[in-house]
Amino acid sequence: MFKKLLIVISIALYSLPASTTAKVRIFACEPEWASLCIEIGGDRINVYSATTANQDPHYIRAKPGLIAKMRKSDLVIGSGASLEAGWLPILLRKSGNPKTSPGGIGYLMASDYVPIFGRTSKADRSHGDIHPEGNPHVHLDPNNISLVADELVKRLALIEPENQLYFQKQHKIFSERWRAEIARWEKFTEKFRDKPVAVHHTSFTYLENWLGLRRIATLEPKPGLPPTTSHLKSLLKTLRGNPARVILRAPYTRDKGSIWLSDKTGIPALELPYTIGGDHHCSDLFTLYDRTLELLSEALDDE
Amino acid sequence: MNFHHVTIVVLTIIFITGANALGDENSNEVAALRQEINQLKNLISDIKEKSARETEQLRVEIKTMQDNYESRISEFNKKIAGIKSDMPSTDDSGVTGADSRRIRDNSFNPSIGVVLNGKFSDFSEKNSEILGFGIGEEGERGREGLGIDESEINFSSNIDDKFYGSVTAAIVREGDEDIVELEEAYIQTLPDFGLADGLTLKAGRAFWTLGYLNEHHAHSDDFADRPLPYRAYFNKSFNDDGLELTYVMPFDFYTEVGGGTFRGDDFPSGGGTGSSPESFSGFIRIGADIGHNQSWRMGGYYLGSNVNLRNSNEDKVTFSGESDLYGTDFRYTWAPTGNANEQEIILQAEYFKRDDDGFYNDTNESTGSVRFDDDTRGWYVQGVYKFLQNWRIGARYSELTRAKTPAGLEDSALDAKGHDPNTTSLMLDWTNSEFSRIRLQYNYEELSKNAEDNQLILQYIISLGAHGAHKF
Repeated sequence: MFKKLLIVISIALYSLPASTTAKVRIFACEPEWASLCIEIGGDRINVYSATTANQDPHYIRAKPGLIAKMRKSDLVIGSGASLEAGWLPILLRKSGNPKTSPGGIGYLMASDYVPIFGRTSKADRSHGDIHPEGNPHVHLDPNNISLVADELVKRLALIEPENQLYFQKQHKIFSERWRAEIARWEKFTEKFRDKPVAVHHTSFTYLENWLGLRRIATLEPKPGLPPTTSHLKSLLKTLRGNPARVILRAPYTRDKGSIWLSDKTGIPALELPYTIGGDHHCSDLFTLYDRTLELLSEALDDE
Repeated sequence: MNFHHVTIVVLTIIFITGANALGDENSNEVAALRQEINQLKNLISDIKEKSARETEQLRVEIKTMQDNYESRISEFNKKIAGIKSDMPSTDDSGVTGADSRRIRDNSFNPSIGVVLNGKFSDFSEKNSEILGFGIGEEGERGREGLGIDESEINFSSNIDDKFYGSVTAAIVREGDEDIVELEEAYIQTLPDFGLADGLTLKAGRAFWTLGYLNEHHAHSDDFADRPLPYRAYFNKSFNDDGLELTYVMPFDFYTEVGGGTFRGDDFPSGGGTGSSPESFSGFIRIGADIGHNQSWRMGGYYLGSNVNLRNSNEDKVTFSGESDLYGTDFRYTWAPTGNANEQEIILQAEYFKRDDDGFYNDTNESTGSVRFDDDTRGWYVQGVYKFLQNWRIGARYSELTRAKTPAGLEDSALDAKGHDPNTTSLMLDWTNSEFSRIRLQYNYEELSKNAEDNQLILQYIISLGAHGAHKF
C-alpha cells in the first residue's frame, strides 16, 4: 500500500514539469478538428469543441458560453469555407481576443489547406444556401486530415515553441499510423468504387470522391433547404428507374425524408456518423473512419 | 629639379628612342604579327558564324520541346476535364486551395444585405393612443392595410486589421413620405487594434447595448411589432450618436461589462445641443451554456439622460429634465433534440423602469410646464417554440405600468386615466430558408381604457445578400 502511494506520488511529481508550461487552449468549431488536435497536441493542449455531432454546424448561435471560451483561446480551428459564417465572426469580434484574429497563427481553417470541391463564382441563393468558397465538409477525405495535421503541427509549434519537439513527435506518430490506415481503408473499399448512392445533404461529397461512390440523388432540393414532398416524389421516380444502393444522411439532418424514400423504394437508409460522437463507436478519427466504412460495407456488400 | 627627376627623364628618353630603334630593326616580325592577327580575326568570325548556326539549332530544338509540352498540357487538360465530368455533380469541380483563396478575396468587398419587409394589418379599434407615457413617432401603432415596413440596406466589413465598420439605412414611411433613416453607422475596434484583450470600442451611431432587443434589428425579432416598453421608452430602439466601451472578462463564465456616452438626441433623451454629452450608460451581462443544448444570459442596464427637449405625441408633448432608465433582461434557449436547427424553445423577458424628474408640457391641452417626478415601468415576457424545422409558434404578453397623474396634467396625454396599457400576442411563422420568413400574428391590445383592439398582422421578411448572423 505504502509502495503504491509512493509510486503515485513520484508519477505525479514527474508529470509536474510538463504541466507547468502552459497548455495551448484550442477552440475547435467541430468535433473532428477537436479530435485531430488531441492527436497532435496530446496532453499539452486543452481543446473545447463548440459543436456536437447532433448539431448542424451551419446553424449555431453566438452563445454566451462560446464567447467566454473564445476569449481565452490561443487557437481556433474549423472547417472554414463559410461553414461557420453565421456565428464564428461574431465570436471573434465580440471576444476581443487578438490571438485568434483571422490571418494570424491562431486562426486555422481546414479548407484553406485542402483542395476544395464545388467552388463557384455564382452565388445565386435560388440554388439554396450555397457557399461560393466551395463545399466545407472536407474532413471526410482522410488525405485532407493529413494536410490539416501538417499545418496544425506548425501552428502549435509557433504558439508554444517549448513543446515543439513534442508536437513534432506526436505528429510523426499520427501521420505514420494515419498513412497506414489510409492504405488499409483504400484496399478495403475498392469494392465500393462506382456504387450509386443517394444523400440527404452534400455533406459526404469528399467521402464519395475518395471512395469513388457515384451520387445520383440529393434529398435536399437545394443545399440547406429541407426536402419537399414534390422533390421527394420526383426522386422516387428517378430512383425506381435507376436505384441507388443506399441513402446516406448525417446525424444532424432529419431522418423523415430518407426513411420515407427508403420505405417506398426498398433502398436502405443509413445514418453515417459524419463526425466524432456521431454514434457511440466513434470516439476519435480512426474509429470514425472504421465505423463509417464498416457501415457502408454492410450496405454496399454484394453478397 | 633634383637628381631623381633628372634620372627619370633621362631613362624615359632612352626608352623611347630605344623602342623606335627596335621597331626599325624588326619590321619583318611586325608584318608576321599582323598576319597572325588577321588569321585570328578570321577564326573569330568563323566561330561567330558557327555559334549563330548553333543558336538557331537550339532555337528549333526548344521550339519542338515547347510544342511537345503544349500538346501534353492540352492532353492533361482534356484528362482533367474528363475527371471533372465524372464527378458526382456538376457543381463539384475540384479546385486547389490557392484558387479558393482567390475567390475569398471577394470578401474584402463589404458584405451587402438588404431586408424587405411587408405587412398587411387589420385593426378593430380606431383609437391607438397610449396614454400616460409620451410616445414617440415610431412607438405608435403601425399603419393599417397593405404597406411595406422598413426596407433596410446594410453594408458591413472589416476595414483593415484594426477596424470593423457597418452602416444600415432604413427607408420608412412617415406620414405621406418615404424617408431615409440612418439606423446605424459605426466603426468598432477589432482585437488587433491593440486595446487590452477583451476590450472593444464602438463609435458612431448604433443600436447600443441596452436590454435584449435593442441591439437587434427589428427584422430579426420574433414578433411583428416591438413590445410596449420598447415603444414607450426607446421609440422602438435607442440608437443615439455616441461611443461605447465593452470588456469581456477573462472568465470561463461569460461576463461582460461596459458603458457609453451619447449626444442626447434620441429617445429617451432628446434635443442634445452637443455642448456636452447628455446621456451615459452602464451595463453588466452574465451567461453560460448548460451542456451543448441550453444557454442563458441575463443583464442589468442603466441609461441616464439630461433631457433638453424630448418630443412625443406628434410633437404636442414635451419633456425636459432628468430621465433615468433601469433595465434587466433574461433569455434562455433550449434545443430539446440537441439540434437547434430542428427544434428549439426560447424564453425571453425584459423589465424597465423609467424615472422622469422634470417638466412635461402638453401643448394640445395647454397644460403649460408641469412638474413631474415619478416613475413608470414596462415589461414583457415571451416564449417561442420551433416545433418543426420551418415552423415556429410564439406567445407574448407586455405591459406598461402608469405613474400617478400629477396635478395640472389631468386629461392630458400624460393622464393614463387609471389604466395600464397591455398587449397579448400570438404568432405563427414559417421559415423557408435562413433568408425568408412569413408570419401571422394576432394581438389583443388594450392601450387605453375601453379601447379593445383586435389586430391581425400578416408579414413577410426577406433578406438578400450577406449571410445572416446568429447572435444569441
